[in-house]
Amino acid sequence: MRTRSDVELRLPAESAYVAVLRMTTAGLAARLDFTLDDIEDLRMAVGEACALVLEHADSEGDLRASYDLSDGSIRVSISAGAARGADPDEDSFGWQVLTALTSDVLTHREGSELWVSFSVRSSISA
Amino acid sequence: MGPRVDGVDHRASSRALFAEMYAETTSVARRRECREALVHLHLPLVEHCARRFRNRGEPFDDLVQVGTIGLIKSVDRFDVSRGVEFSTYATPTIIGEIKRYFRDKGWAIRVPRRLQELRMAITKATADLSQDLGRSPTAREIADHLGREVEEVLEGLESANAYSTVSLDAGDGDPDSPASLLENLGADDEALAHVEVRESIKPLIELLPQRERRILLLRFFKGMTQSQIAAEIGVSQMHVSRLLNRTLEQLRSEMREVG
Repeated sequence: MRTRSDVELRLPAESAYVAVLRMTTAGLAARLDFTLDDIEDLRMAVGEACALVLEHADSEGDLRASYDLSDGSIRVSISAGAARGADPDEDSFGWQVLTALTSDVLTHREGSELWVSFSVRSSISA
Repeated sequence: MGPRVDGVDHRASSRALFAEMYAETTSVARRRECREALVHLHLPLVEHCARRFRNRGEPFDDLVQVGTIGLIKSVDRFDVSRGVEFSTYATPTIIGEIKRYFRDKGWAIRVPRRLQELRMAITKATADLSQDLGRSPTAREIADHLGREVEEVLEGLESANAYSTVSLDAGDGDPDSPASLLENLGADDEALAHVEVRESIKPLIELLPQRERRILLLRFFKGMTQSQIAAEIGVSQMHVSRLLNRTLEQLRSEMREVG
């Protein structure tokens, strides 16, 4: 596994900042020549992943997003401190939306940090 | 388009058609023809009304389309015995319909004119390029097409999300659309083969306006892209994006309330 992401962002763990992440994601994907449909899927996926993480996040903590960029593909990891323990519900509608829009959806914990990550490939390079 | 009729002829044929439509001896099929002819006859009136609202950030064709709804309503409600000209009667209804459209589609926050125009240019470029390429275009392709920077295109796309989120005639039922999303669960979509929508979300999906439910279905159960959905239901891709995002947000917050 890579130890370093190409792009990292740290924001307050509040839903109000999710729009910033969605916008940033769109900007990154556009640079990788994703189609508008791909970008829309990505934006939605980021929104859902953030919602899944924020549901369990500690208030007044940080929301982190990191992006691994490669030719025609982008891997997004969203994480936040979530000491209270619960993990994203894989039966939830949000999780289903995420798995429908993206591939390799994973969730895991590192200490109190809760992660959700997924990949999206450009439909052009495919 | 038929030959142009001058004002007098126009009014005369309008009156004759209305008279025929309401005559007791007229067959149902013929009545329908009269109704259609009346709508066609007065389309120039709609265009005239729509022209007054040009340059306000909405495509002219869209205005004509909503204005035509006003015209059809007018044809159906016009009372011949009142003795007013149809055009006098119809004009306020047509304009009312166009104004309602502006109110419903109003921007939630004020977006600079520059961005509104950019958004329209992008919408058009997206449609044109999708046609040419047979797929959704990239931001770079749109930028090249418009002779702009990629950043500008992104900015324009972002501004599309500033549109208000008021109800979009949710009541207009489309008889062709599935009665319920749930009836279509179990469709053979591999990505969703394992989906088990929890009991709690079913009623929420059923409560969605028909159009939102349909978009949700097409995206997640038929696996269509936003561009394909846009073409299918006849709105722009940006509009699909807004509706879809709003629907997901709504479901999310409702799920939270349900617990």
